Amino acid sequence: MSTTFNPNILPDLLLDLQTAQQNAENAAEEISTGRAVNAPGDNPAAVAALVLNDAQTSEDAQFQTNISDLQSKLQVGNSVMSDAAQLMTSAITLGTEGATGTTTASERQSIAQQVAGLQQQMLALANSTYQGAYIFSGTNVTAPAFTADSSSSTGVDYNGNSATTSVEISQGQSIQTNLPGSQVFLNSSGNVFKALNDLTNALNSGTGIAAAVTEAQNAFTQINGQAGFYGDALSQLQNTESYLSQETVNLSSQQNSLIGANLTQAATNLTQDEIDEQASESATAQILQIPTVLDYIE
Amino acid sequence: MGTLLSSLNIAIQSMEANQEALSTTTNNIANANTPGYTDQSVSLVESRPIEYGGMLFGDGVSVSQITSQRDSLLQTRLDQETQQQSSYNSYLGTMQQVQTLFNETTGNGLQTSLTSFFNSLQQLSTSPADVSLRQGVLTAAQNLAQTFNSTSSNLSQLQESADQTVTQTVSQINTLTSQIANLNVQIASASGGGQNANTLLDQRDQAIEQLSGLIDVSQSDAGGGLVTLTTSNGTALVVGNHSIPLTTETNPSTGFQDIYSQGSDITSGITSGSLAGALQARDQSIPLILSSLDSLASSLGNSMNTVNEAGTDLNGNQGQAFFNLPSSGSAGAAATISVALTDPSQIAGSLNGTSGDNSNINAMLALQNQTIVNGQTPINAYSNLVDQVGNDVSTATSQNTSSQAVITQLQNQISSVSGVDINQESVNLIQYERAYQAAAQVSAVIDSLTASAIDLGQAQSVA
Repeated sequence: MSTTFNPNILPDLLLDLQTAQQNAENAAEEISTGRAVNAPGDNPAAVAALVLNDAQTSEDAQFQTNISDLQSKLQVGNSVMSDAAQLMTSAITLGTEGATGTTTASERQSIAQQVAGLQQQMLALANSTYQGAYIFSGTNVTAPAFTADSSSSTGVDYNGNSATTSVEISQGQSIQTNLPGSQVFLNSSGNVFKALNDLTNALNSGTGIAAAVTEAQNAFTQINGQAGFYGDALSQLQNTESYLSQETVNLSSQQNSLIGANLTQAATNLTQDEIDEQASESATAQILQIPTVLDYIE
Repeated sequence: MGTLLSSLNIAIQSMEANQEALSTTTNNIANANTPGYTDQSVSLVESRPIEYGGMLFGDGVSVSQITSQRDSLLQTRLDQETQQQSSYNSYLGTMQQVQTLFNETTGNGLQTSLTSFFNSLQQLSTSPADVSLRQGVLTAAQNLAQTFNSTSSNLSQLQESADQTVTQTVSQINTLTSQIANLNVQIASASGGGQNANTLLDQRDQAIEQLSGLIDVSQSDAGGGLVTLTTSNGTALVVGNHSIPLTTETNPSTGFQDIYSQGSDITSGITSGSLAGALQARDQSIPLILSSLDSLASSLGNSMNTVNEAGTDLNGNQGQAFFNLPSSGSAGAAATISVALTDPSQIAGSLNGTSGDNSNINAMLALQNQTIVNGQTPINAYSNLVDQVGNDVSTATSQNTSSQAVITQLQNQISSVSGVDINQESVNLIQYERAYQAAAQVSAVIDSLTASAIDLGQAQSVA
């Protein structure tokens, strides 16, 4: 009995056939799922990296949603600044008119009423809301920032606080999202409400109008300067939005290189694997039918 | 001696010898496809010559022995490799199911609910007093807790399933060792009585090979046709004519089956076979994964609780615990974590007591990037967990494939030694048939000569 001749090669044939079938199935799966990696066991490091990639992509999408929301909110603040500056310009014009020697007392009083009207408009602006929250009350957002108070030297009471809020807009980057009303409208270097209140009083009394007009000019300069905050913030939001869009594209391409299928290669593999499978089946069938001496004995 | 009768004797002996050889050949052909069958070969030898009158007279042919073409060393190597491969295969059976729980390529696993939870906090940070956004956070938190719960529960079920496999396998082992002990008895008595024990030897080898598929087996020759079987650690399985059954007992702390032999716990000493694979999955790999999951749930939950308790909620009250967790340690955290807050207003987003302050929300968000889970951030800890699961599977897969290749190679080698070659057997068939026919023909000739001798000197009455 020869010890190197194996009379039973069926296990070998079957193993070859099973291997060919498995390869063909793997190639087909890659094509149908579009992924070369279909389970953690296929490539543990790639799937571990995929976890981080997916998390980052999802987080970036949320950042973009927040940015969009903040843009709307800051636009409201930005508009208020320009409207408020406009009101102060009107106040200065009225005050200047009232200060001229040719204006009569009753004319001054009429002007005073108009300035009082500006005060009310300013109050309304200072109490602007975004989605139901007061944007100039610091973090005390459920209460109006200012209420009218004739006994106060500024004509208003401030109900908010001086706290600011910051929101994260990309990994590690946050921006301040509000200016406290006290800082904007009651600023010591140019107090908008006090200026308007003083101007109204001066026009009514007939004295100190020039000084009140100067106050109004300072207040105008101050509030005009505050607009810079909104402009800067909106610009930063825009830049970050562009950055995040680009990062999303990068993450997507990175994910493809981690687990994506090379469809051309997979298609080639599938064709070759199917050929191998058929060859294996054919060889197996032929080998099994080779006659032995037994078939020839009569 | 040269007489007609002695010649007839030789012819008859030849017919018997060739008939025995024919019978062995047909048995080989009949068993060509029988698993574990070893090809048997006949040794025909010249019978001892007889001396008479100074001359030696041949005395015909006889069958001296029928031997199995068996290579015990190859069989032992096959048994050992079978033990390894069965272990990898059974381990994979469980771990591939574990893998589906963490298959992030199809979106299964914790990443989505973990990230969504933090995203909901991000959203809330823009409008901390918004009740519907607060509800969004609670909903996302409940989803996260639920995902922890179900992942943990599924892992436990897989452990239980592996545990059932352990019990069934022990029962199969006991059946086989009992069969082998029986075969030991039969082989010993056959060998002792000088009979051909080849078929019984084949059956015993097959049974040992099957046993190797279940547990690590070490085989030694005990003399007189008996084999002794032990585990590789020396626990007796079959000694002589009796088998030592394994039993299972419930472990009081895990609730799973430990394996005992004659009162001793041998569970940790089982090194291969499908039993070892099931034990490794049940007692090592899955507990490690559960422990990582528990760490993640516990660290995240406790950190969120600490932050929430430091803040003020919408009702102006001091924050309370956000999540319900085990009172001490992290064991069971993933299975039991749930959201403790019952109302959106209870999220303590503020540090200065006002509703528009998001400082404490930002503190919750900061947890994402803090190394709160055994020195890792939550998402990194989870990523490493997925890596661990993937490695468990990929390592076992490649070991399994290598082992299968070795087994096929060994089977080929064994087949070369012990396999039935139909062509060889057919040639033998023809040879023995011809020799039988020749001997029969010789008998006929001798018969006619004897008739002639009897008829000598008489009229022919015998033809």
